Amino acid sequence: MSGALAVSARLAWRNLWRNHRRTLIMLAAISIGVWAMIFMSALMRGMTDQMVRNGLRTLPGEVQVHAPGYRDDPSVANSMAWPQGALLSALQQPPVQAWSARVRVPAMIASERESRGVTLLGVDPASERALGSAPHADEISEGRFLEGPGDDGIVLGAALARKLDTGLGKRVVIMSQDPQNNVADRGMRVVGLFRARLEGTEELYAYTGRQPLQALLNIGDEISEVAASAGDYRHTARWAPALVSAAGPQLEVKTWRELDPYLGTMLRVQDGFSLIFMVVIFAVLSFGLVNTLAMAVFERVREIGLMQALGMRPGAILRLLLLESLYLLLLSLVAGNLAAWLTIKPLERGIDLSIVAEGMAMMGLGTTLYPALAWSDMLFSTAVVVLLGVLASLLPAWRAARLDPVQAINQV
Amino acid sequence: MPRLVTAFVLALLAGLAQADDPASARDIIRRAMDHYRGQTSFSELTMTIHRPDWERSMSMRAWSRGDDESLVRVVAPARDAGNGTLTLEGNMWTFTPKINRVIKVPSSLMSQNWMGSDFSNRDISKDTAIIDEYDHRLLETRELDGHRAWVIESIPHEDAPVVWGKEVLVIRDDWVLLEQQFWDQDGELVKTLKAQEISSMGGREVASRLRMQQADKPQEWTEVVTAEVEFDLELPEGLFTLSSLRNPRR
Repeated sequence: MSGALAVSARLAWRNLWRNHRRTLIMLAAISIGVWAMIFMSALMRGMTDQMVRNGLRTLPGEVQVHAPGYRDDPSVANSMAWPQGALLSALQQPPVQAWSARVRVPAMIASERESRGVTLLGVDPASERALGSAPHADEISEGRFLEGPGDDGIVLGAALARKLDTGLGKRVVIMSQDPQNNVADRGMRVVGLFRARLEGTEELYAYTGRQPLQALLNIGDEISEVAASAGDYRHTARWAPALVSAAGPQLEVKTWRELDPYLGTMLRVQDGFSLIFMVVIFAVLSFGLVNTLAMAVFERVREIGLMQALGMRPGAILRLLLLESLYLLLLSLVAGNLAAWLTIKPLERGIDLSIVAEGMAMMGLGTTLYPALAWSDMLFSTAVVVLLGVLASLLPAWRAARLDPVQAINQV
Repeated sequence: MPRLVTAFVLALLAGLAQADDPASARDIIRRAMDHYRGQTSFSELTMTIHRPDWERSMSMRAWSRGDDESLVRVVAPARDAGNGTLTLEGNMWTFTPKINRVIKVPSSLMSQNWMGSDFSNRDISKDTAIIDEYDHRLLETRELDGHRAWVIESIPHEDAPVVWGKEVLVIRDDWVLLEQQFWDQDGELVKTLKAQEISSMGGREVASRLRMQQADKPQEWTEVVTAEVEFDLELPEGLFTLSSLRNPRR
């Protein structure tokens, strides 16, 4: 049997190169198709990743714990106590990699000439950095980020500072309300300016130390939210339930998919869309494949009849033709995947799209697109191509196997 | 030691006139604030808001007690009559008869205009905060129309809820506040409150015509003319309350 298979394999390989021009054209077509599938899904994955990451950065945190009323009314009146007991121990052990407790209140920032509404975050810089939600060092365009939870400086977005007509080293006044609705205000010195991919983010968020903000708002040790991360935003469902039970019924624990349904939906749409995209590309290609194989069969009707007359079983003929198409597919896959890898790798540092910056910002994206090559996408497109390719070549192979040897040999 | 020498030299340069005593500068401002507010006060005034293409005036009555309590009620024109503002310890409420509602002015609006004027809500509700939230320094003493006038520079504390880089006040020796300048943190003048007329009312010299002027917009100003003022009078209990804001009794 293995001998017969080896013969089939050798025959198929030779047959493939009998009309090498046709084979090469088909090879090129499938390769380009495979390349396009992977490249497009890498672009799309990069886009969605970025959208989700931007969203998570500004959310921020994959899983958040709040007092029950906070999400409806994010005011200081809906604060929660510092995590304790079961929740604290759940936060401090794997799979939670980083967590942070912050005060997050709507506030006004006033300079001499302007005032603007912002979301003021009272943070603990070290734990926010571990969580990845604080501006990175390279995003601080001037000055510094906060140095500790007691830092009473304020870090503004560069765009906000421009709008306020203020700058590094100047004082601004922040105004908010304490839980009794009394005016809570004080001056703070701008110690740093940050840049974000989106100007909207720069204008929306301002950071100060957690303790000065708690003192200003008169809330003691209370906080607005706890954010936690376990590294991979796609799999929050695996570890969020543990936090829910640890937090108890007095607190509300939500994953980012629930906090920002739009982002969660985007991710699912992208995954579904890349499958549809691959199937469509390959459906088009498969016509070419079927045609090529049908031609190969048609050309070789006499030859196939002869082989049958010499005792080759229909199953072996079917196998021979399927092997031919499988060779073609595998070669194209190797070429296509290689081409995709070679083209995407250099682009992973980012594609500059500043020409269409406004449109990108509307979608929650920055001006640089970072394609993300995922092994799963390559494997997936390979699987789609092999499966659909073999399926498409079944028809001509099946017809060849069913030829009547006498008629076939006598055909001119 | 070098600091002493520097201080000495500075004192010499300042004309050997007066010691640079922060306590006294603060006292001067305290006296000036007490002078125009009194223990209690009642005044009738007209506020004129001037813009390049329009101007409007409102007559109002104002009561105050101590530093923290004040009530202002508009009496004319009819369109605005009944509008009131109550301030208590830095919080502010407004009442509008048209919607019959008392609204607490949220902190987000404290830096907004008060009734469309060049005064901010903060100017109205926390005008004496300057005493404790700034460091004061006597810059110079001037002769002015037979009076002495002190020029005081006030720099806000680091955490004071004040956007200004500094304020400069000119106060006459009979405690009339002649001028209050608001400077930004780059050393540019932003707006000035200036006494344009001083007259004797309620047994005191008071600035009867005050003008708040934006420095970079010469055509935009707000003027407050005091027609009548009484000091240290007996005010009814419950005047500075939300129910009094809603239901005027006098």
